[in-house]
Amino acid sequence: MKILILGAGAVGGYWGARLTQAGIDTTFLLREKRAAKVKAEGLVVKSPKGDAIVPVKVITKGGDGGPYDVVVLACKAYDLDSAMESIAPAIGPDSTIVPMLNGHAHFAALDKKFGAEKVAGGLARISGMLGPNGEILHSGANGVSFGERDGKPARASLVALDAACKKAGIEGGLNPNINQDLWDKWIMLGSIASMCSAMRGTVGDIAATEDGAAIMVEILEECRKVATAEGFPPSDKIVGAIRAGLTTPGSKAVASILGDMEKGGAVEGAQIVGDMLGRARKHGIAAPNLRFAYAHLQAYEARRARTGGATK
Amino acid sequence: MKILILGAGAIGGYVGGRLHQTGTDVTFLVRPARRQAIERDGLVIKSTKGDITQKVKTVLGAGEGGPYDIVMLTPKAYDLDSAIDAVAPAIGANTTVVPLLNGMRHIDVLSAKFGAGKIVGGLARVGVAMGPDGTIHHTSPFAAISFGERDGKSPRAALVAFDAAIRKSGVDGGLHANIVQDLWDKWIMLCSLASTCCLMRGTSGDILEAGEGKAIVLETVEECHKVATAAGYDPGARGMETVRSFLTREKSMFAASMLHDLENGAMVEADHIVGDMIARARKAGIATPNLRLAYAHLQVYLYRRSRGGIGKPAR
Repeated sequence: MKILILGAGAVGGYWGARLTQAGIDTTFLLREKRAAKVKAEGLVVKSPKGDAIVPVKVITKGGDGGPYDVVVLACKAYDLDSAMESIAPAIGPDSTIVPMLNGHAHFAALDKKFGAEKVAGGLARISGMLGPNGEILHSGANGVSFGERDGKPARASLVALDAACKKAGIEGGLNPNINQDLWDKWIMLGSIASMCSAMRGTVGDIAATEDGAAIMVEILEECRKVATAEGFPPSDKIVGAIRAGLTTPGSKAVASILGDMEKGGAVEGAQIVGDMLGRARKHGIAAPNLRFAYAHLQAYEARRARTGGATK
Repeated sequence: MKILILGAGAIGGYVGGRLHQTGTDVTFLVRPARRQAIERDGLVIKSTKGDITQKVKTVLGAGEGGPYDIVMLTPKAYDLDSAIDAVAPAIGANTTVVPLLNGMRHIDVLSAKFGAGKIVGGLARVGVAMGPDGTIHHTSPFAAISFGERDGKSPRAALVAFDAAIRKSGVDGGLHANIVQDLWDKWIMLCSLASTCCLMRGTSGDILEAGEGKAIVLETVEECHKVATAAGYDPGARGMETVRSFLTREKSMFAASMLHDLENGAMVEADHIVGDMIARARKAGIATPNLRLAYAHLQVYLYRRSRGGIGKPAR
């Protein structure tokens, strides 16, 4: 089985490095600049599961070395359009695309461009970020989840990808109910990304204030209602675990979107928060906290456009 | 008439400097370093209304040089307690305290300490800042303070005399017949602006670019309006229209100074400007969902600041 991963950030880079280490045929499709660096230096991984410098296969044009059985999209949502252009030549009749983007908005675009049957569901639970030298700073969670969106038995390439993950020590893998998992992750992410960005602090900073934890619980409830209306009600156990995680005093947990904002970078506000709010409206669900968080993110984008990303 | 001014900072230094320049008996209560600088360099004002460097009277303790008829103070709200301690020795039986602070909570605090009868209402509208060398830079075309009896009755002799001194000094404003309304009017504007600029971390114009930005601003203004109305100080249709139109100007580069403080890791008057508005709303049974979010945002900032986390990655 041949795997192509678009992007060598925290998610794609970490996952692909571990697959490569396990002897799985993995190739990275990267932009020129990143490609040159990774070709020269390998992927530098710093991780509680073991540091490594991993020489990997790199291409800069999707047509090279293909077709691929599995094409993993590990880009940010705002880069989806260019990512789709890049992978198009790598997609053969039997290729399966596994997008690891947050939210749901990317499925419509991918289905339209490549055909729904080629697009599986996928999500990452890999926490980390890129360091200043492009090194992958992996900080804990080490899982992926993917599967058929129609809930039918998994196609051969996904079964093979599951086996590859197990061999590489990646947790999770094939999930028979990937749509539910996507929603479960989105309600968590929608809540933490909204609050950490709009309140500009960690979970612990928010929990330290008078109403911070209450507002966090309200916004999770808004997201839960949206997921339920969309046909994917999260279990009480999942909601309880998310609630506990997002209201823990002293927690250093923080959405990566805040780090992006504090550097004046691009954010996935429309995909993570805006789309959730849009669906709340569609179902007539009151979502005052998502509304304000999205306004915050839009004001951020407006200011970023005006100032070119200056942080003061 | 003798006036004591706490500090010789931006507002106090400017107003006191103009009073002194025009022959009013003004004394500045300052710290030793500031006294040394003023004795060496004079009190330096660079202003659109004319530069001046002059020798002024300073004291290191409020017990010196009194008794004073007027004690004027312009501290940041979070420094109010230390300001009260500093001026306390100057407050005699016939002293009138003129606080120039935004919001309302300080009036209760001052009244509890010195007696409500000694505390009048006051407001400053002076676009002024102090440079690192102590020079007072007055860059805007306006410089006004207003003050008056909080019960709306005829002003006491000290305020009449203070009014005459202010008029002579060239500072605009002076006695105000309904100073408490003026305080509420300014508080509504300031609380709405500070809440939305901080909550959205942008200028007034940036906020309007967000789909719901304008609606959120107008709701916030209305929350403040309701609180003022419940207190008996509705600014009226025209007053409210002024606030609304000011805060909803497309592309406006106007931002609350609190946002500037937030982005520079400085202390902010969160409790005084936003928290107290919420407390009054709660007492009156008024819902303030937007102010609640803004106050939470400010509290997150203050907590993160207290743990040394401002200007560093969140994690």
